[in-house]
Amino acid sequence: MKLLLVGEFREGKVLDSTYELVGFAEASAAESVLFMVGSEGQLPAYAGSLYLAEASHCSEYNPDLHKKLIIEAAGKENVDAVVFVHSSYGWDLAPRVAAALKAGQVSEVVALADGGYEVGCCNAKMRRKVQPSTAKKVITIQAGAFPVAKQEGAPKVTKLTAAADDGFEFAGYEPADEKGVDLAKAEIIVSAGRGVGRKDNIPIIAALARAFGGELGASRPVVDAEWVSHDHQVGTTGQTVSPKLYVACGISGAIQHLAGMKKSDFIVAINKDKDAPIGEIADVLVVADVLQFVPALTARLAG
Amino acid sequence: MRIVVCIKQVPDTTQVQIDPVTNTLVREGIPFIVNPYDSHALEAALQLKDECGVKVVAISMGPPNAQATLRKALALGADEAILLSDRVFGGADTLATSNVLSRAIRLLHKEEEVGMVFCGKQTIDGDTAQVGPGIATRLGYTQLTLVDRIEGLDTEARRIRVRRKLEGRHEIVESHLPAMVTVVRELNQPRYPTVPLRLASVEAEVKVWDNEVLKLDPQTIGLKGSPTWVSKIFSPQREKGELIGDGLADPAEAARLLVEKLIGKELLAL
Repeated sequence: MKLLLVGEFREGKVLDSTYELVGFAEASAAESVLFMVGSEGQLPAYAGSLYLAEASHCSEYNPDLHKKLIIEAAGKENVDAVVFVHSSYGWDLAPRVAAALKAGQVSEVVALADGGYEVGCCNAKMRRKVQPSTAKKVITIQAGAFPVAKQEGAPKVTKLTAAADDGFEFAGYEPADEKGVDLAKAEIIVSAGRGVGRKDNIPIIAALARAFGGELGASRPVVDAEWVSHDHQVGTTGQTVSPKLYVACGISGAIQHLAGMKKSDFIVAINKDKDAPIGEIADVLVVADVLQFVPALTARLAG
Repeated sequence: MRIVVCIKQVPDTTQVQIDPVTNTLVREGIPFIVNPYDSHALEAALQLKDECGVKVVAISMGPPNAQATLRKALALGADEAILLSDRVFGGADTLATSNVLSRAIRLLHKEEEVGMVFCGKQTIDGDTAQVGPGIATRLGYTQLTLVDRIEGLDTEARRIRVRRKLEGRHEIVESHLPAMVTVVRELNQPRYPTVPLRLASVEAEVKVWDNEVLKLDPQTIGLKGSPTWVSKIFSPQREKGELIGDGLADPAEAARLLVEKLIGKELLAL
């Protein structure tokens, strides 16, 4: 089994998710080569072959061009599978590459399953075991599902070039609407739900998030009521997160919310109701009044 | 110019239950809905209809009862609705599905120019996000995924400018037509059907195209044309967690117990 890992490079930097791809290759016990549209001045710490196209020539994003380059690298190495991260980049590119290679595609793999792959479905409520029957495969892995590989060594670089397609024009980036919080990167998230009571109580939860050194998250009702801005929303209409620690404060656990955070390593729920659905997936359920317990916990962490 | 909107009828996964004994989906009594992202795709097309006078064609591959879903699209203002339905289409994975949808779009294009195809960013049952890009590749259209704003459409120059929603930022891209666009929820707020349109939709025709019309090689559609196999569907298991502080009056004591637990799990270093 030989994999072509498609690393990501954004605004001049190699993204850390690239090393999750290496982690996936290690977990699969597969040989791998790396591909990236990046820069020779910013090489990934990877002790293997790297097919590199210069972002300054090919643009950080140009789907048709990047697809051509990936297919060229996949052909040169005669790989069995091309692997992406299930980010907006992999999301957009992987199906194009799959169609061009006539490869079966498996999206958002969360685990390996004897010869096949486990993927979420039905809003991540269920899992499916999927096996493509094609000779070549295209895979996208869920961010955070596979361990980050050790970053060591320098790659052996083979340069690729291709002519740009003039039909598509990258006109630049725009910042997120509000001061964006990238919850996907947070190691600790403390989220506020309806049980917090009212907008004035949000600072109590935010203080706990600070005490943990984490980010503030929120459930949808809290965002809909404009207690917290949308970029903090966790769930299927917000962000899907998988931090090391997730603390749900006054969140009963609507399925949409659970789907967005159930992959967290460790879940603490604080709820008055010990039968709240969040208790089904929480590792620890603290049965208490949020407004009494959270300040006590913040004080404990601070002291 | 026409815009084709691809719609899927899906089980309402927010109501999906898992059978605790067999650990599989309970399908009985689960209502079918329009895939929510597809509603936003339809709304985007209808807004362009209002602004630029393009025509909107809604298509869906599915069983005969998916006509109801397409009728809703007509009630919202779609000009035409076509159901792609045939037993041989059944059991399709994303590759076989995009093959059927692409052929239908080609046939529509022969009748009258198709400038764009709109899809939701993904469905809420399969979650793969592959069908839209599969269509784009087959038809050779420019692919614009994760669009959260249509900045401009020039029907004369055949160009579109959109904003794509990426992680923590947006990307502005411009492309020539034809293009395949997949949309996110932030793009718009879907409208409600007007009473006259709803009444008219009851009588309106939902065309049904089977493989007599599409004439696809049976090896490339349905189960036979599907290279990915789902061998098992199951619910990820998680043991029910531990309770802390149940019946405990002192929040400080409960906080102490929790902090100890987190230190024990190496989630906190104090």
